[in-house]
Amino acid sequence: MSSKNDILNNVRRHINDKYDMPDLDNIAAIQYPDKLEKFMQMCKAVGGDARLLVPGEDVNEVIKSLYPEAKVIASNLPEVSIATVNPDNVDDPHDLNGTDLGIIKGELGVAENACVWVPQNVRQKVVYFISEYLVILLDKNEIVNNMHEAYNKLEFNDYGFGIFISGPSKTADIEQSLVVGAHGAKGVMVLLR
Amino acid sequence: MSTKHAEAATRFISNKKEESWHNETLWMVRAKRDNMAKDVPEWEQLRELSSQIKMHTISHLDKYAEQFAAAAEANGVIVHWAKDDKEHNEIVYKILSDHNAKKLVKSKSMLTEECHLNPYLEQRGIDVVESDLGERILQLDNQPPSHIVMPAIHMTRQEVGKLFEVKLGTEKGNSDPTYLTRAARQHLRNEFMTADVGMTGCNFGVAETGDVVVCTNEGNADMGTSLPKVHIVSMGLEKLIPNHKALSVYSRLLARSATGQPVTSYMSHFRKPREGCEMHIVIVDNGRSEILGNREHIQTLKCIRCGACMNTCPVYRRSGGYSYTYFIPGPIGINLGMLKNPKEYSDNVSACSLCYSCNNVCPAKIDLADQIYRWRQGLDSLGKADKMKKMMSGGMKFLFTHPSLYKTALSMAPIVNSMPRFMIYNGLNDWGKGRELPKFAKESFTSMWKKGKVQKKK
Repeated sequence: MSSKNDILNNVRRHINDKYDMPDLDNIAAIQYPDKLEKFMQMCKAVGGDARLLVPGEDVNEVIKSLYPEAKVIASNLPEVSIATVNPDNVDDPHDLNGTDLGIIKGELGVAENACVWVPQNVRQKVVYFISEYLVILLDKNEIVNNMHEAYNKLEFNDYGFGIFISGPSKTADIEQSLVVGAHGAKGVMVLLR
Repeated sequence: MSTKHAEAATRFISNKKEESWHNETLWMVRAKRDNMAKDVPEWEQLRELSSQIKMHTISHLDKYAEQFAAAAEANGVIVHWAKDDKEHNEIVYKILSDHNAKKLVKSKSMLTEECHLNPYLEQRGIDVVESDLGERILQLDNQPPSHIVMPAIHMTRQEVGKLFEVKLGTEKGNSDPTYLTRAARQHLRNEFMTADVGMTGCNFGVAETGDVVVCTNEGNADMGTSLPKVHIVSMGLEKLIPNHKALSVYSRLLARSATGQPVTSYMSHFRKPREGCEMHIVIVDNGRSEILGNREHIQTLKCIRCGACMNTCPVYRRSGGYSYTYFIPGPIGINLGMLKNPKEYSDNVSACSLCYSCNNVCPAKIDLADQIYRWRQGLDSLGKADKMKKMMSGGMKFLFTHPSLYKTALSMAPIVNSMPRFMIYNGLNDWGKGRELPKFAKESFTSMWKKGKVQKKK
């Protein structure tokens, strides 16, 4: 407790001039004529991919055709019948190691940078990262232009964790040479419906 | 008299091939940053807002720190306060011992580097595993980072390949980056699976909500915090921002400035501990509160650690991170080092050509070059001014304030042109090292003017 007081007192003692907070409600931020098209284009630009489902197309069939070799498929989504594991029923997150494909739901897409907002919506969030490949289902009407719009709209839930995912895990730590699939998903496909 | 930076830089540039690779690669990152900035019409407005938000936050830091801690505690997070590096390390070790932890898996944190946490924990028997690929490479090679965002930028793929042969048992002679990254993925997956505690740094601490925001491309911070039961966050006081509206500004600036990407692959918001788990935040001062009182250098507290000032710096690009004596190199490191200990780190202030490129790329608009200039003005009072340069400036002052002497000297200057090389290019003339001196004109401007030789351009 004393360190807290010491630090705060030290801060107070050293503050000289005070500065106002700027107005952040009127930023003339970038807008796109076609947000959905820009979002899909950015998904590819960041090393991922995006596909627009046509009406009547079955999510399970599409995913099976995209990932024919996936054996261990983790999802808690009711519409995903091809799931072999429900991460909501897993007590120890370590048990999800070896997941070939994770299928999750995003809430919001951002056109400027392909971010998908995922408020934790499964019990074991490790499924977002430990899966070799990741499919994110997203409502095509939930695309915003930029991060300001996204932060105004996004919500958290009781899990108390939320993440923007933009494309697959990647690194350029060896000679700035881009390698996809550092620790997390080696590929991310956003399916818009 | 050479500074330690100049001496180390001489060693760095002796390998011409690596020097030019380093220079060109970082310039490529700078060019990527420029392209990203050009794609955002409101880029300059964002930089200005980012600067203003930080100035507001740090000048109300007591209020925001208390608000942040209260919000985090209401979220079920345990908040600790550390006055200095020593207290930070003790707190972290205490948490580890309370959980009988043997293995700590970390994501990138310059603050833990600043606190020398790893050696402290290793001496106490903790197995510390860095999980960012670049940081892991350096940890296996027993080296510190040479750049704050691209820590192993100075190493060639062949060097990494050789290191992995020994440490990870990879194929002999294979230095393909994809192959090596896959090997590291497998090796670190095992470390994640067996870690007792996960530790992260913090890019932004949101006062209103208590969120800790961490940005990575690899997903290592998320792997390290989604498996073990304990998550420790090490956060410098200056990482605080007021709210999500402010965060939206930084979310657009950070990755674009750092690596020329529109955003990092993962931007995680840690608000509460996982079910049945613990989350700790250690808020660290370690000299930051004192910088608040320093009007000339307060702006260093706006830094979001993107590394753009290094990528653009002509001296950094051509001398490498290890030429600097402070653990953070480049323009921001020069200033932070001087704030830490001016007597110890004054060798770095000469590593700047005052080109001001850093000021112009900084996403928080820190007056980096102005600060370096100001440090130089104070070198003499630290007893750190270069004796040779001091003598030369004294001589020049005398010369320039005595017109007749100046004119005589000028008329004799062309003699230097015909002097033998050994008389000009020798150990005594610092200006003749590594460069060719310009020729003195045969006639001075004044004399040409007087003879009417200076004509208006037609």
